[in-house]
Amino acid sequence: MIEATGLTKVYGGKTAVAGVSFTVQPGLVTGFLGPNGAGKSTTMRMVMGLDRPTSGSVTVNGLPYAHHKAPLHEVGALLDAKAVHTSRSAYNHLLAMAATHGIPKARVREVIEMTGLEAVARKKAGGFSLGMGQRLGIAAALLGDPQTLILDEPVNGLDPEGVLWVRNLVRYLANQGKTIFLSSHLMSEMAQTADHLIVIGRGRIIADAPVKEIIAGTRQAKTLVRTGEALELSALLAGDGVTVDQSEPETLEVTGMDSRQIARIALDNHVLVYELTPQLSSLEDAYFDLTKDEVEYHSHLTGGPAVSAPAAAGK
Amino acid sequence: MTFAGVLRSEWIKLWSLLSTRILLLLTLVAIVGVGALAVLIRYTYLDDMIRTARDQGQTMTPEMLEKSFPPGSGFDLYNLPNAGLQIGILILGSLAVLFMSSEYATGMIRSTMNAVPRRTPAFAAKAIILAVISYVITTVAGVATFLIAMPVFQGIGFDLDWSTDGVLYSIFTGGLYVAGVALIGLSLGTLLRNSAGGITVLVALFFVLSIAASFMTLIPGEFWKYVPQYIPSEAGGRFLSIGHTDGTIDPWHGGLIFLGYVLLFLVPAMITLKKRDV
Repeated sequence: MIEATGLTKVYGGKTAVAGVSFTVQPGLVTGFLGPNGAGKSTTMRMVMGLDRPTSGSVTVNGLPYAHHKAPLHEVGALLDAKAVHTSRSAYNHLLAMAATHGIPKARVREVIEMTGLEAVARKKAGGFSLGMGQRLGIAAALLGDPQTLILDEPVNGLDPEGVLWVRNLVRYLANQGKTIFLSSHLMSEMAQTADHLIVIGRGRIIADAPVKEIIAGTRQAKTLVRTGEALELSALLAGDGVTVDQSEPETLEVTGMDSRQIARIALDNHVLVYELTPQLSSLEDAYFDLTKDEVEYHSHLTGGPAVSAPAAAGK
Repeated sequence: MTFAGVLRSEWIKLWSLLSTRILLLLTLVAIVGVGALAVLIRYTYLDDMIRTARDQGQTMTPEMLEKSFPPGSGFDLYNLPNAGLQIGILILGSLAVLFMSSEYATGMIRSTMNAVPRRTPAFAAKAIILAVISYVITTVAGVATFLIAMPVFQGIGFDLDWSTDGVLYSIFTGGLYVAGVALIGLSLGTLLRNSAGGITVLVALFFVLSIAASFMTLIPGEFWKYVPQYIPSEAGGRFLSIGHTDGTIDPWHGGLIFLGYVLLFLVPAMITLKKRDV
């Protein structure tokens, strides 16, 4: 479990994280979503004690990270795939990290096997591709078999097989009751992996709710309409609160009116419609909606299991 | 997490780099090499003086010759074990800077701080390993140099062996001095987080400053003649010699002053390491 209260980081006058509060629950995969520069990495670095918060506090499994007696057994973190001495082999890197906690060599070999690094374990880490670097970072995070796992952009640079592996791994660990905190700027990835989402934008929490709720909370569902008389139909549909976009010839995207109403209007006016598909709003839509207008959605969407504090604006 | 574990971890880090292992071996060879060169130079000079005196029909025993040079003028024999020390200071000091600064350069420091979030134990482990390695290498090199020197000077009648005044002392203190330089190097690497910067400051401190100090003695006034002996390299160097000289600090004063310099760098380095974001 990770608990942050009023966490703030100011770098030389620029506020990177502005008083965020959230709780990451065990047994769930919690996604930390936000565009680049939103404050995801800074928040995670503060959780791991690499950055000192300007104000506020954060605990992991009940204690600040540095206060744990065996930190690697409490939290495993991948914050940066390049946190490795370039001239040292992957095996020796893991061995040096393991030595601090008296973790046996057998476990080092185990995580190398788990992450598929056997073939390159004796090679210098400096020559690794981004994907290999990510695997090494994940191997280091798993070394202590920690209760909480913090992964910053773990699928970055991984091949499709690696992406699937990470997804299955975090799902498996969450099912075992571990706390998983996963950041990404890829919404599609989150939709498939996370149970719960914390969305951050410009250093503030915009939403903190289960994934399903966030998708359902998106304002308007779209309906895809295909017709030979696109111009005529769009003129008929246009009205108060209804928007019609034409993305291709003979294809309309209608918002603000459900498919039954569209069919009724088409029938009444003898317009032939050959496809009418309600579009489920995707996490992507939800995300763009959320970040488009922070203020409007703040009160509306926060308040899942963990209530985000009122944005400490101007602090 | 235990301190013994952190110590083992830092040892693995140092020893798992091929470049470090080669560098340490070369350092040993270089210190002995320079020491052997110093042996050769002093031998040639002293031998030549004895021969010249004999050719002129004068009696010149090695003992008389030794007494004719004031101590510290460069013809002492007891300090031969430390003749190659400057090389050790340069290489081991730079290695100490790199032991920390390369972690910042590569990003390894974040992995280190993840495993040891209290940070100070990692710094302490690095300091202990560097001090021990510097001490052992310097001492081994000093013993090896003396093993070369002994038969050479005994061959021309000098009374030089392990019981000669100052020999064991200079071997013992030489290691301490280089260990202290290594701790200053580690501190510089921590404070500056930059390899080139750290090594530059180290060289400035131990080589450039002593040149500057020798110019300082040219300034008129008694005061300026006493200042240079307080700079790190002079105070540390004084610690390695024996005997009292008027107008000069005593060896143990030099040692204490040098220890002060070590702490002057070590303590701020530990504090900033603890406080700074990585």
